[in-house]
Amino acid sequence: MLNTKDKRRHFFKRLALFLAILGPGIITGSVDNDAGGITTYSVAGAIYGYGLIWTLIPSFIVLLIIQEMNARMGIVTGKGLSDLIRENAGVKITFFIFVGLLLSNIGNTTTEFAGVAGSMEIFGVTKYVSVPVVAFLVWILVVKGTYQVAERIFLIFSASLLTYVVSALMSKPEWGEIGSAIIRPRVEMNTQSLAMVIALVGTTIAPWMQFYMQASVIEKGLKMKNYKFTLVDIVIGCFVTIVVAFFIMVACGATLFPNGVQINEARDAALALKPLAGRLASQVFAFGLFIASVFSATILPLATSFYVCEAFGFEAGIDKKWEDAKEFYTLYTGILLVSAIIILIPKAPLIAISIWSQVLNGILLPVVLISMMLLVNNKRIMGAYVNRPVQNFIGWSAVCILIALSAALLIMPAFNR
Amino acid sequence: MTSLTTFYLSGLIGNEAFGMDGDAIGVIKDLLIKSLPTEQDDSSRQLVNGIKLKTGKEIRCYSFSTFRVVKAREKLNVTCTGLLGLSVNEINNGLFLVENVLDKQIVDLNGRKLVRVNDVRLVTVSQGTFAIAVDIGIEGLLRRIGISRPIKQFLSLFKISIPAKFILWEDVQAIDYSNLNIKLSKSYAKLQTLHPSDLADILEDMGKKSSMSVFSALDEEKAADVLEELETHAQIHIVESLPVTKVADVFEKMPADEVADILDELEDEKAEILLNEMDNESSQEVRELLEYSDNSVGSLMTTDFLSFKPEITVDEIIKELREKRPEPDELYNMFVTESNDELIGTFNLRDLVLAQPGVTVNQIMKTEPVFLFDDQKLDDIAEIISKYNLLAVPVVDSSNQLHGMVVVDDVVEDLINKRRTRKR
Repeated sequence: MLNTKDKRRHFFKRLALFLAILGPGIITGSVDNDAGGITTYSVAGAIYGYGLIWTLIPSFIVLLIIQEMNARMGIVTGKGLSDLIRENAGVKITFFIFVGLLLSNIGNTTTEFAGVAGSMEIFGVTKYVSVPVVAFLVWILVVKGTYQVAERIFLIFSASLLTYVVSALMSKPEWGEIGSAIIRPRVEMNTQSLAMVIALVGTTIAPWMQFYMQASVIEKGLKMKNYKFTLVDIVIGCFVTIVVAFFIMVACGATLFPNGVQINEARDAALALKPLAGRLASQVFAFGLFIASVFSATILPLATSFYVCEAFGFEAGIDKKWEDAKEFYTLYTGILLVSAIIILIPKAPLIAISIWSQVLNGILLPVVLISMMLLVNNKRIMGAYVNRPVQNFIGWSAVCILIALSAALLIMPAFNR
Repeated sequence: MTSLTTFYLSGLIGNEAFGMDGDAIGVIKDLLIKSLPTEQDDSSRQLVNGIKLKTGKEIRCYSFSTFRVVKAREKLNVTCTGLLGLSVNEINNGLFLVENVLDKQIVDLNGRKLVRVNDVRLVTVSQGTFAIAVDIGIEGLLRRIGISRPIKQFLSLFKISIPAKFILWEDVQAIDYSNLNIKLSKSYAKLQTLHPSDLADILEDMGKKSSMSVFSALDEEKAADVLEELETHAQIHIVESLPVTKVADVFEKMPADEVADILDELEDEKAEILLNEMDNESSQEVRELLEYSDNSVGSLMTTDFLSFKPEITVDEIIKELREKRPEPDELYNMFVTESNDELIGTFNLRDLVLAQPGVTVNQIMKTEPVFLFDDQKLDDIAEIISKYNLLAVPVVDSSNQLHGMVVVDDVVEDLINKRRTRKR
């Protein structure tokens, strides 16, 4: 029999356990709302108002299913996704995936620095100051810090993404309209609106996330025994992603859409908010963008160099010394440097870069997802923890839908011309 | 014949093998080598004794003894004088180069780390075909993708060469034996030569399945040393996955304080099961240590120490040490106690070596020794150790009875952990 004191001790022990496990899902979810994501959500809100908010619901389900599989694979095998792909799919597919990921993530990191530059300009800081300073700080954090420090800082970062809730509330949205827009989704069957839907789903489910999720689960040393806590962590992470996306779309849908303001970048959204919702709303929006950009600018290059090294057998990890993991640190520094420099070039083709990295992501996503589905159903690898039929059904349908969407995204520009 | 043909596994796989009459007999899928080197074998190379061929839709293994690899104008020719079957035993005791080595992680015994295999280097001499090295470099990677040559030519314009990186076969320890039912302890024999700390680092980098099979293959002494060096979550993974009896056996070989630290992290029920499985003497020591709170000297001390009666002579002590062969830590500092375990003095190896054989220990010991109380705070230890330049400090209870000692290694480890937590 447990007495009250033991019970309380028991409760605190469980709470401590939960807090220790917390992290991978929430962080992955937050990195997901990066500068690129914020841009896409803002543009969708500005053009379609509340019209496309419904897409967040299927995105949530697919995101959840995919991340759950990643976590399960990480816990059961103790191996990274790139390890598993290399060992089971061979060197050629691995090479294709990782060269693609490397290029697309250099593009993505560039977008993050564009976010840093754009948001700081709203506070009157020129990009020639903000970008080098942020790049340097991010570099130092990873090279000189430890993973634990970085992770704690990132968790605090995650919380500040909630500034978008404030931003949205300050724009006084029509809740009734939002409700009916979600309940009765409308799809306009034209290329532009379809492209927007694809971009929304695509920005929520990016290929590199799968690698990151699995790696951080392993880094944490999580166990199958505490799987329900991990599951809670993933659900919270996906939920936060979707909620933040929701409020960004609401903020832009409530202010920019009725006034017919057209925007191309997240920075434009922040600027446009100023006359419509006030200076403070604009700055809050910009601050959120800044945090999200820095956050993702840290994790993207790190994750990319980590899984590239993992796949090709170089030593990797921020707990290693520079001499021991030369390839890893060189790659990390290189990605950061190249991305930061691109932003600093006057009149760099930023929009082209972001479109091309999206296209690359679109090609890679199906390859990565199919590899994942095959791995997670492999009894030799997963043992008793292979997918159940329900998971396979949702998993494969998600893969098919995403492939169809990606294919559409790739083919559509041809028809537009 | 003095012909010597060197080639890469990647260049051979997928080629067709030809029979005596020049007809193709099948596509080469894999090569088999013996996984256990016998005493007579040269450890620097491993004989290829089997080949996996795909003929039509059928895949079968044959003996390699009738096959021959010849290089003609940069092209590999594989000829066969007749197909001989392989026994099930030979297949089960073998290691497939494609299935178990290529693209997999192996242990580089020389560099003491895990590396990924990009290719395997083979050689054909008159005695047969041998695996001689694995390629882990970038060149091997490019060769596998099929772009090695153009890139090399391109780079040679700038006088840059891609460095090749090989690990000689004697330094290679394959770890992926997943589909074999052979005696693992023998297949991992090469790993026994590694230092426990290096082995622990390697185990941490492995997947869960491989780390378990490698760990279970270690003998108990080595397993105990390695378990001690692992990080907490790896320790727990191993303790929870291995059979209870095996864990208990390993625990009995470990210092009680290390066992107590691991048990502290486990669930109470599991810890109790393990303690019951251990022999009484070992589990009793661990139980006593588990009583101490996390922040007290008692939780860090070891109960493996040497103490002697005051009237024993130096000669007798040395004789006893030779018989007992204690761990190095235990020799940092030795203690003199009365019959009721009351601590009255300390001495070290130097005192012992310099003294005349017939002298009794109470004449060479330092009286009024520096000591710690078992319920004292951990923070006090480092100060005392550095102030008195000690390698080990005795730990006593309130009635001055000796219970254990705190060793400098553990103090350093504790300080490092603390700094890490503070950084967090």
